[in-house]
Amino acid sequence: MTAYILRRILYLIPTFFGATFLAFLIIQLAPGDYLTQLELDPKVTPETIARLRAQFGLDRPIYEQYLLWMDNLLHLNLGYSFAYQAPVLEVIWPRVVNSMVIVIPSTLLLYLVAIPIGVYGAVRQYSLGDRILSFLAYIGLSVPSFFLALIAIYVLLQIKFRTGTLIFPVSGMTSSGFEQMPPLRQILDIAWHAVVPVLVATANDIAGLSRLMRGQMLEVLSQDYIRTARAKGLAERVVLYKHAFRNAVIPFVATLGGLLPSLISGAGFVEVVMAWPGITPFFLDAIANQDLYLKTCTSRIPCMNTPFPPQAEAKDPKLPARP
Amino acid sequence: MRKALAVVVGLIALAGVASAQTFVWPQKWTVAKPSEVKRGGTLRAAVISDYRTFNPFITAEAGNVPEIISGARGLVMRDPTTGDWIPYMAESWTVSPNKLEITFKIRRGMKWSDGKPITADDWIMTWRIHTDKAVGSNSYDSFFIDGKPITLRKIDDYTIRFIYPKTDAEAFAVASFEPWPAHIFGPVYQKDGAEGIKKMWTLNEKPENIVSGGPWLIESYRPGERLVLKRNPVFGEWNKDEAGNPLPYLDRYEIKIVKDTNAQLAEFLAGNIDLMAPATVDHISQIRQAIQQGRLDATIKVNASPVASSQFMVFNWNKASDPFKQNLFRSDKFRRAMSHIVNRQAVIDIVYGGLGTPMYTSVYPVLTQWVNPKVPKYEYNLQEAAKLLAELGFTRKDREGYLVDSRGRRLEFNLATNAGNAQREQIAKLIVDEAKKVGVKVNFTAIDFNTLVGQLLSSGPDRPFDAIIIGLSGGGLDWPFGSNVVPCKGNLHMWNKSGQCIDPRETQLDALYSRGRTELDFKKRVEIGYRMQEIEVQLLPVIYIAGPNYHPAWNNRLGGEHPEAIISSIWGQRELELTFIKK
Repeated sequence: MTAYILRRILYLIPTFFGATFLAFLIIQLAPGDYLTQLELDPKVTPETIARLRAQFGLDRPIYEQYLLWMDNLLHLNLGYSFAYQAPVLEVIWPRVVNSMVIVIPSTLLLYLVAIPIGVYGAVRQYSLGDRILSFLAYIGLSVPSFFLALIAIYVLLQIKFRTGTLIFPVSGMTSSGFEQMPPLRQILDIAWHAVVPVLVATANDIAGLSRLMRGQMLEVLSQDYIRTARAKGLAERVVLYKHAFRNAVIPFVATLGGLLPSLISGAGFVEVVMAWPGITPFFLDAIANQDLYLKTCTSRIPCMNTPFPPQAEAKDPKLPARP
Repeated sequence: MRKALAVVVGLIALAGVASAQTFVWPQKWTVAKPSEVKRGGTLRAAVISDYRTFNPFITAEAGNVPEIISGARGLVMRDPTTGDWIPYMAESWTVSPNKLEITFKIRRGMKWSDGKPITADDWIMTWRIHTDKAVGSNSYDSFFIDGKPITLRKIDDYTIRFIYPKTDAEAFAVASFEPWPAHIFGPVYQKDGAEGIKKMWTLNEKPENIVSGGPWLIESYRPGERLVLKRNPVFGEWNKDEAGNPLPYLDRYEIKIVKDTNAQLAEFLAGNIDLMAPATVDHISQIRQAIQQGRLDATIKVNASPVASSQFMVFNWNKASDPFKQNLFRSDKFRRAMSHIVNRQAVIDIVYGGLGTPMYTSVYPVLTQWVNPKVPKYEYNLQEAAKLLAELGFTRKDREGYLVDSRGRRLEFNLATNAGNAQREQIAKLIVDEAKKVGVKVNFTAIDFNTLVGQLLSSGPDRPFDAIIIGLSGGGLDWPFGSNVVPCKGNLHMWNKSGQCIDPRETQLDALYSRGRTELDFKKRVEIGYRMQEIEVQLLPVIYIAGPNYHPAWNNRLGGEHPEAIISSIWGQRELELTFIKK
C-alpha cells in the first residue's frame, strides 16, 4: 500500500507539470491580455500600456512567463494577481473557505439523499415511489443550477410580497451588521443564508448519483452470492445492507478522491446568482479580466486529485492496483 | 452674570479662530430643506463587481474604494446645477496672466481622519506618486499634456501652484484630483519607492489604518460580500449644510457586492437595497409594477437622461490588400449611405426597449451644452442610401439581389462586434437586414472582445478588418473630444491608423482639437466644438448609432435627492453627503 501511494505521488509530478503547462498555454492562446480592456480607454496612452505590460512581465515569451511562475510556485508563491495587485493566495483563500460553506453541507446532503433514493429505487424497482422519486430527480437534473437559483429567488420574493417576511435571504452570505453580532449569531446568520444555495447546489446532482446508486444496487442484487445469501435464509435486511449495499457503494468511495478539487472549485453558478462570495464569481472575473495567475491557479487543482483514488483499491481487493 | 457672558463670548471668538473654513453645501443641490433632514441611519447600495484594493495609487476600476471614501473631490469640484468649477478644498484661486499657472489657496482647518491637517504637502506627495512610472497609477496620463508634464509647486503650507506646459481647457479637471495623506505615504515612498507604495493599503489592511480626508471611513470589508463605511466625523467640521449641520447626515453607507443584476433587482424589490439603476426594460417594468401594486415604496425616473457613452460603426481606411474596399471605406459618400441605412429608431425600440437616444456626432447627447443642434443628421432613409450608392457606380444588382459596380464587383463587407454583448449583436443584425434591403451584403460575425480590440487598434497600411461596431465612454464637460481619438496620430483614431491624416478634414479636426483644448474661454471652446461637429458629420469617420438611457430608482426611505432638472447620468440622482434616511 505504501509503495502504491508513493508511486501515485511520483506520477503526480509529470501530471502536474504537463497539466499546468497545458493550462498556461491554453490561457495564453486566448487573444489579448489583462491590459487589452485598458486600450479602449481614451485617457490612457499606448506608452503607458506598454510600460504596464513590461511591468507585469506580459511582454515576455510564454515559456519564460511559465518558468517564472513555476519558480515562484516552488517557493510556495502562487503568483501575483494583476487586478488585486496582491499575492494570489492572499486573495483566493477567503473565497475557497466561503465556497466550502456551501460545498461541504451540499455534498453531505447529496450522499444522504441520493444513496437512500438509489437503494429504495433498486429494492422497489418500478414501484410508484421509485417513479415519483426518479421523476423529481430528473427535474433537478434538467434544470440548470443558475436557473433553479433564479426560481428560488423568485419564490422567496413572492412569499415576501404576500407575507411581508423574507423566510430566507435573497442573496449574500451575511446580514448587515454581521460584524457586531456575537459569534453564535454569526454562525447562525451564515447558516441561514446558506440554506437556499445548499439546496439548489444539491438538487442538481441528486439525479445522477441516485441513478448510479440504483444501477449499482440492481447489478449487485442480481449476483449469485445474493441469491445464495437469500437461499441460506438470511433476513432480507441483512442481505440488502450487509451484502448488497456494501458492494454497491464501492464506486462511490472511489469518487471521494474527487471531492477535494470540487471542494476548492466552488459551487458553480449558484454562487454567482445568489451573490455568494465563493470562488466561482471570482474566477469568472479573473477570466473576463485575463488575470493570468489567478486563472492558472484553478488549473492546478484537478492535479491534486492524482494521489487520492487509492481508497477504492484499499476497499475492494478484487480491483487490481493500476500500474 | 457678566463674567459668564464674557466667557461665552470669549469661547465663541476662540471657536471662530480654531474652527475650519467651512464649505457650505448649497441648498439648491437637493430637494430637501435642512429643517426636514434627520441624522443617522444606513444607506444600502449594491455594486456588480468586487473591490480589488484600498490603495488609491494602484486602483483601476471605476467606483473604487479610495474614490468613495474621499468623495472623489479635490481642490475644486463641479456645481451640478451649472457644471461650473467651484472651490472645494481650495478656498480660492488665481490664474496667471499667461494662463499657464493656477495658484490655489488651500482651505484651512481641514483634517485627515487621524487628526493631522490637510496641507499643500499632501497634494505634492500624491502628484509625485501618481506620476512615478514604476507605480503604474491609472491617473498617470492625466498629469501630462501632449507628453509634457504638469508640475506642482508648494508655495507655503496652504498655497499650491499648478504649472501647465500649455493652456489647457481641462486645467481644473487636472487640479480636481483627490489628495492622499503625505504623512502616511511619504515615509514609505521615501524608503521603499514605488514597490513600497504598491504594497500599502491592500484589502488585508486593517480598516482603522486607512486614513480619509473625505466623508467616509472604512468600518469593515468582507471580500465579495459587503463594504461598510461609517461617517468620518472630522469631515463634518468643515462640510456643513446651509443650516450649519455637519455632513454627511448618514451614519453608515453599506455597499453589497452582488454580481448578478437579477439578484440586485431582487434585493431592490425586497427592499434590502436603497439605490438601483436598472438597465433593461424588463427590470424597469418589474420595479414599476412593484411600485404600482404597492409592494415597494420607491421612486423610478425612467429616461432621466441618455448615458454618457457611445455606440458606433467604424470602417477601416487602411486596407492596402484590397484597394476596392479601401476606396469604398475612404469615400464619405459610402459612409453617408451607411449612416442612412442605420435605423436608429429600430435600434432604440428593439435593442433598448424604446428607452434610448439616437446619436449623430461624437458628443454624447447628455452633454447638452456641447451638442450642436444645427448639424445635419443622416437619418434612416433607404432611398437616399440607394441614391448615394448609385452615384458611386453601384447601379446593377446581381442574381442574388446585391449591388455590383460596372466591373461586376459586389458591394459587400464584413462587420464584427464583441461576442457576448447582446445589444451590439442585435444592432449588427439590424444593420445586416437594412443593408440587404438596398442591396449591400453585410457578413456579420461576433468575435472575442480582445481579438476585436486587437484588430481595431492594429496600425499600418493593411489592417485585418472591414467594419466594427463598438463603443467608447469617457469624455467630459470641459472638452468632450477624446485626446486619443481626434488627432490623426491618436491611438484610438480607429478608422485610419496609418499614422497620418488622409482626408483634409481629418487635418482640420486635428487642428481644431488642439485649438479647443487650449482655449480657456468656455463660449469660444463650445464654438470650436460646434465647428468640429459640423466637420464630423461631413466626414463621418465613424457612424454613431444610439445609446441607452439612464433610469435611476431609489427606495422612498431616502431623502435628499437632486432636484429633477439635474438628475442625469452625469450628476447621478443625489449627493451622498446630502442624503438622509426619512424613516
